[in-house]
Amino acid sequence: MKRPVSSLSLGSSLKGKLVRAGFQFTTDLQDLNPEHLSAEAGVSQQEALEALQAASSGHGVAPVTALELLQKEEEFRSIVTFCSQLDEALGGGVPVGKVTEICGAPGVGKTQLCLQLAVDVQVPAVFGGLGGQVLFVDTEGGFQVQRLVDLAGAAVRHCSLLAEDEEQRVAMTTFTVETILSNVFLVRCRDYVELLAELHLLADFLSNRPRLRLLVIDSVAFPFLRLHDDLSQRTRLLQGLGLRLIAAATGHNIAVVTTNHMTTRLHSSQAQLAPALGDVWGHAPSIRLLLRWEESRRLASIVKSPGHMDASVQYQITYQGFRDADQSERPPSKRPRSQTDQSASSRKNTGT
Amino acid sequence: MVALLVGMCPGLDEGLLRSLRAADIRTVEDLVSSDIEDLAQKCSVSYKALFAVRRVLLAQHTAFPVSGADLYEELLSSTAILSTGNPSLDKLLDSGLYTGEITELTGGPGSGKSQVCFGVAVHIAYHLKQSVIYIDTTGGLTAGRLLQMLQTETNNRDEQMEALQRIHTFRLFDVCALLDCLYGLICGRGRGACVGGGSVKALIVDSVSAVIAPLLGGKQNEGMSLMRQVAAALKTMAKDFSVAVLVTNHVTRSGSGEAQPGLGVSWSHVPTTRILLERVESGASGRRSATLIKSSRQACLIKEDFDLQWWSRAEGGRGGGGGGETSGKRKLDETDP
Repeated sequence: MKRPVSSLSLGSSLKGKLVRAGFQFTTDLQDLNPEHLSAEAGVSQQEALEALQAASSGHGVAPVTALELLQKEEEFRSIVTFCSQLDEALGGGVPVGKVTEICGAPGVGKTQLCLQLAVDVQVPAVFGGLGGQVLFVDTEGGFQVQRLVDLAGAAVRHCSLLAEDEEQRVAMTTFTVETILSNVFLVRCRDYVELLAELHLLADFLSNRPRLRLLVIDSVAFPFLRLHDDLSQRTRLLQGLGLRLIAAATGHNIAVVTTNHMTTRLHSSQAQLAPALGDVWGHAPSIRLLLRWEESRRLASIVKSPGHMDASVQYQITYQGFRDADQSERPPSKRPRSQTDQSASSRKNTGT
Repeated sequence: MVALLVGMCPGLDEGLLRSLRAADIRTVEDLVSSDIEDLAQKCSVSYKALFAVRRVLLAQHTAFPVSGADLYEELLSSTAILSTGNPSLDKLLDSGLYTGEITELTGGPGSGKSQVCFGVAVHIAYHLKQSVIYIDTTGGLTAGRLLQMLQTETNNRDEQMEALQRIHTFRLFDVCALLDCLYGLICGRGRGACVGGGSVKALIVDSVSAVIAPLLGGKQNEGMSLMRQVAAALKTMAKDFSVAVLVTNHVTRSGSGEAQPGLGVSWSHVPTTRILLERVESGASGRRSATLIKSSRQACLIKEDFDLQWWSRAEGGRGGGGGGETSGKRKLDETDP
């Protein structure tokens, strides 16, 4: 089967000129040299060279078997949320390499969970964490440094109580409130143009910082709420944004966490709360967590995930951060994340 | 448009080619559609020679009709029906995915499209022992979930690993990479799995709308053309290599709130069969309903309820019985014998 020239990734005017000159398939372009092609098709030497290169290369990447993918997945740990029930429902925590969305009504704790994850990603590897840095994109102005200091202090205290052997004590010297704050890169975007521009520059930023393991966008809905009069443009921008986030997550092995608002949807004369930005954006994140109130309890539910069952767990937000419900009085022994425990949980993951 | 080249047919030599070029005849179409007498005068070539060249070119570039009986024989010998592993879905699809055709799954977020794709890939790799090519554009491919599904089929680790090795995955996030990948598979020059080898029986693209939808609409004019290129590549794979193609699509809401498959009317002609997946509001968390919205073999709008947990059911039990469990899927595996 011959590949048509119009499917190559060249400019449309160049493709038009080539087709009009009679070069319909890439096999027609194979044995020509650039001067001949530019004379035949009436294009410049530069464009002819580009066309010949595109025709001879471009067979795509090699496939990866599912077995190799499984081995790669087992290498990467998840980011714990410090709420052990939620971590268990998620199979270890927020996964690296996927886009996770947190949606909920105002005040339910989305920004708190984002701040908690920004601290948790920095937990050193000897304690079972990733030891990574985080890029926090704030579009609403909800980022408060004092709160981050509180959460960082609680995490440092928790880990120092768990430190048993020499390696962990050495790691604790680099895990302090100051280092936690210095590993959080904060960007403030005031509208959707700044947000899109920031994501355009993301690839360079990521290649300069190989330790970066988490990208938080809080929130992705707020800048786009103003585009309600040109919905088709909003749809296209959101789809492009979603693709770019997924490409960054899989290509650079980072966890991407976005937050979303809720909106009311009228469904057969009943009003229901649904995540904002519509179904179009709903396809972009792989995992969706819904945080909601039920009487006086806070519940976190997994409503969309490729690898986990739908589940609801209860959580609470204390001075120390995002925690299990009715856990605030217990001593911090619920997550002894030593090395043996990590290998036990990874064995559990493979089901042997 | 096929360019006129020297040696394409006897009589088409360098001199004739040059005089035709001078008269602005560059392609076979131009030659065949122009007036021969006029051309013979303009190029000062003999009428008979030009007529002979035209006849040979027409014969070379015409399509041949095939009789219906021959076509039927060929179809019987080359078509296979691949079961999806879930009996409710098989009932909707008239016993499974047909090779040589494109089947589409459409549904809103969280409706189970990727889960069905995983289930189909695992079933074909393990039970039918054929290779599967899985192209993922959503980032949702989790090998751990494939392993979970395999673990409910067999406890033998070697068999699980062997089945996983038969699933070849590609992760692409833009349409040019998708076209490169598809044509690489067709032409067989891509390293690794080649479709012409004969062992690949299924190609799953999840999802085709994620890469094409951002290019449609607005002031962009390349979107429709690229969509048609992708459709042509998928159809070639399906027909020429006898592969069953399964694609997923998103939904858009029409004016009255009804769910419609995305990518518009132009794409709706591409798949032969279309299924719409929806969540069932009441009922256990894994239940979904599937509606047949386009089919050339069955009456449309047949609806079937099925359970996503069918692919992770305990051995010897029906998926419907497992619907009451809301514990994590991993806990289900640990209680397996």
